[in-house]
Amino acid sequence: MSHHLAAHGVSLDLPKGWDAEFSGAAPPNSEVAVRERSLSTQSVDDFERPFQPLVVHAGNFRLPADRGDFGSGAVEAMGAGGVLVCLLEYDQASASTELFRRNRLPQALGVNDVQPNTLQRTISGQAGTQIFFAENGRAFCLYVVIGSHRRRAVLVPLANEVISSISIEA
Amino acid sequence: MTALVILLSFVVGLLTVLVAGLLRSHAEVLRALHDLGVSLDPDDRDLDDADAGQSTTLDLRTRPGVAAPRASTTGPVDIVGVTADGGPAKIGVVGTEGLTLLAFLSSGCLTCAGFWEAFADPSQRYVEGLEAELVIVAKGPEMESEASIRALAPKGVRTVMSSDAWLDYEVPVSPYFIMIDSAAGRVVGEGAAATWEQVANLLRQAVADAGLRAEGKSERAARSRGTGRSGPERMADTDEELQRAGIEPGDPSLYPGAGAE
Repeated sequence: MSHHLAAHGVSLDLPKGWDAEFSGAAPPNSEVAVRERSLSTQSVDDFERPFQPLVVHAGNFRLPADRGDFGSGAVEAMGAGGVLVCLLEYDQASASTELFRRNRLPQALGVNDVQPNTLQRTISGQAGTQIFFAENGRAFCLYVVIGSHRRRAVLVPLANEVISSISIEA
Repeated sequence: MTALVILLSFVVGLLTVLVAGLLRSHAEVLRALHDLGVSLDPDDRDLDDADAGQSTTLDLRTRPGVAAPRASTTGPVDIVGVTADGGPAKIGVVGTEGLTLLAFLSSGCLTCAGFWEAFADPSQRYVEGLEAELVIVAKGPEMESEASIRALAPKGVRTVMSSDAWLDYEVPVSPYFIMIDSAAGRVVGEGAAATWEQVANLLRQAVADAGLRAEGKSERAARSRGTGRSGPERMADTDEELQRAGIEPGDPSLYPGAGAE
């Protein structure tokens, strides 16, 4: 049995036993996160209202309460059989930039798409991938980490089960 | 003859005293049961139950301050709700590793206040010798103040607001604690307590009763990495991975040096 979670135009289905949380990376009116995450040349002051980026974390293990946007805090707790799927939204102005030229979220990752050298934080044995894309005028980064590069043939399909269920509306 | 009459009178008197004693004892038992909320008087039976034609069940109640047990022992289910910030959240309780301690707390109850305060201290979230992950479950935003839960939720502890979880687990009172062996998918202990020390004792007892062995962090990490498994277990895992990757026994790629000879 899977559970359907949805918020802010993003939804996904989670298999039994998976943890997930949708959150904003910054509390309302916080400008710090906007500055760090904005890829446009606009200054924070140019925004009419503070952009509150959506962050979705889903893992097949117990997610710790304290996590960074790219899963720091969670990847350390992840075992060799762990899978972490992160979806991070950037401000809409970024959607038209070169970095987000890829249109639409990939429906599935290839087994060899995950590599140990693409991790935000390198942990021995782990592997991951990072894909920037735009969908329906919104800019996102999909970041996936698996607990064991050697077990990618088993773990990537688990990640794909969740990735293929992600839906993004305008 | 006179002696016989006296003897009979003595026996009757003795029996009268015994019967009176028994009646008094019976009355005391009934009174005690009534105080506990158990009524054996058909006239006291709940009219709704009588109307529904249900079989007679004893309506167990406890004294004020003592939490009633759950009506039934429901199996564990994943918890789906929202965080105090309003974002959807799901806690996978079934099919994951280790022990999960669900703490059902509310923002209003006085006893819960002690737990909210205690859990703010990281040292108060763990029971020595047990690796149980604490998850706080409050009722959903339709029944709880999100602002209150946001203010109370201790940093470093997953806190989810889910009225469905309270219904699914048939939580009878707050605070209430349910410990789950997530890997086995079963409840291993539960109960209400007024202090964290009482909860800790409850958990230790439950784990002992369930025959679960306390597992240290290093052991769990080793198991997670796979280094704690036996040779046959590791071989079985390796075979499974290779087969999933399309590499069957005898595949040339398993013998890289064979072709060169």
